[in-house]
Amino acid sequence: MLDSLKDIIRKSSIHVCLINTGGCNGCDIEVVALLSPRYDLEQYGIYVHNNPREADVILVTGAVTEQWREKLQRIYAKAPEPKIVVAIGNCPLSGDVFNQEGSSVYAPVSDFIPVDAEISGCPPRPSEILAAILGVGPDAIAAKGRQKQ
Amino acid sequence: MSSVIWYLYEFARKSWAENFAAAKTDSEIMETPSRFRDFPQVRKEYCIACGACTAACPAPMAIKLVRSEDSAHEEGITYPIINTRGCIRCGFCAEVCPTDPKTLLCGENHLIREEFTILPVDKMFVIDDYLCIKCKKCMKSCKVGDAISEIDNKMVIDQSKCISCGECLKTCPVKGAIKGIFISNVEEQKEIINMVVNTLEARIESEKDKIKKLEPEEIFKIDFPIDELVEKSREIIKNDELIKDTLEKITDRLKMNIITWDDEKCKNCRLCVKECPSGAITYDEEKGVQRNPKKCLKCSICYQTCPFGVAGFYVARFLLSETSMDDGVIHITLKAAQLPIRS
Repeated sequence: MLDSLKDIIRKSSIHVCLINTGGCNGCDIEVVALLSPRYDLEQYGIYVHNNPREADVILVTGAVTEQWREKLQRIYAKAPEPKIVVAIGNCPLSGDVFNQEGSSVYAPVSDFIPVDAEISGCPPRPSEILAAILGVGPDAIAAKGRQKQ
Repeated sequence: MSSVIWYLYEFARKSWAENFAAAKTDSEIMETPSRFRDFPQVRKEYCIACGACTAACPAPMAIKLVRSEDSAHEEGITYPIINTRGCIRCGFCAEVCPTDPKTLLCGENHLIREEFTILPVDKMFVIDDYLCIKCKKCMKSCKVGDAISEIDNKMVIDQSKCISCGECLKTCPVKGAIKGIFISNVEEQKEIINMVVNTLEARIESEKDKIKKLEPEEIFKIDFPIDELVEKSREIIKNDELIKDTLEKITDRLKMNIITWDDEKCKNCRLCVKECPSGAITYDEEKGVQRNPKKCLKCSICYQTCPFGVAGFYVARFLLSETSMDDGVIHITLKAAQLPIRS
């Protein structure tokens, strides 16, 4: 009873923290497009706060540069449980065009923090991001919350 | 107060309650428009394994050519696979795909150049195990899945899988460890090599008097313009790329031994006559000890044997510095060999 109540609440109120670990900003712009009235992310109860301390979902973009390696883990540690990580775009998955010979990017992100969902594309369409967040977000958070207990 | 009533009225409406419970973005907005360029579609059966898509791809790990295994009935087919985690959906691969119908399809709003064709290459790539440092950079850069592999601690290029894209040669950090060999026109290449080596040797021989007077540590330098060599090579084969490549390889690898002969110092002791392995040195009652340069192997045994310093042994090395095919220069450096003289 209490669990299912918690599930409902967790599912209907998702706080999101967006982290750009050194990308070209293209994916971040697509996320901003999601917030716009056209896609209107907030109608699903999703709020972008950019505060890891109250985040349920961490959106990671960018190819993880030298300076972000430790900071990313610190930010991840700051987010309260249950939390899920969604990697947006190709950069956190493979380093994309930045992952050239001799470059100092440390993609993929999954080497540093556990990633629950991946959205490929450079950048992915806002609708793809939305579908992924809705597809994985509420249920994964609910499931993770129960798992913890 | 009125606003509170207004809110209560709003919340009580059925349509609001329905929208609140089942929030959903307009499906028209969520739909991907047909003009959107999605990840490329691969139609394996049309692929000719030319590698144009891998060469055109700007993302490092988006596209690879793989070859399916041979079965008892037919040969395995080669086809590209798209890694969606690397693909940036630029559509270049579909643009350059030369097959008709295209192997790769990617949206419809990009420019597809119909006239695009790929010239067949006449180069073969091999790894020189002696120079290879096993850094495996070529393996990583290879556009074809497992065309370069490590067998018995040696890097080997599988010629049946290689598409001669030359990517391995570009990434190789050791000069000469990977060689692009022109597999056609082998006879012409031999002719060019013979001609160049003979010309260079003749040039050095012409400076014999100066070379004889060289101090042990002194270096003798000659600059040899290549325009004449290029001109002669063009008579053999009209392929500037091949000529340039051959010249580069000759100057990189050639180490020429030069033997000088100083008759004045000879005391006719005839020690060298017996030692010479090719019979190039003969003794004559009237003429004394004679050397026949045409028979000489340049093995340096006479130099190591002679107690009077009649034979001189020098090593020449070559370096090609070129700005263009016509005003390039081969730098020749010549130095006395550091071989010990037998006592």
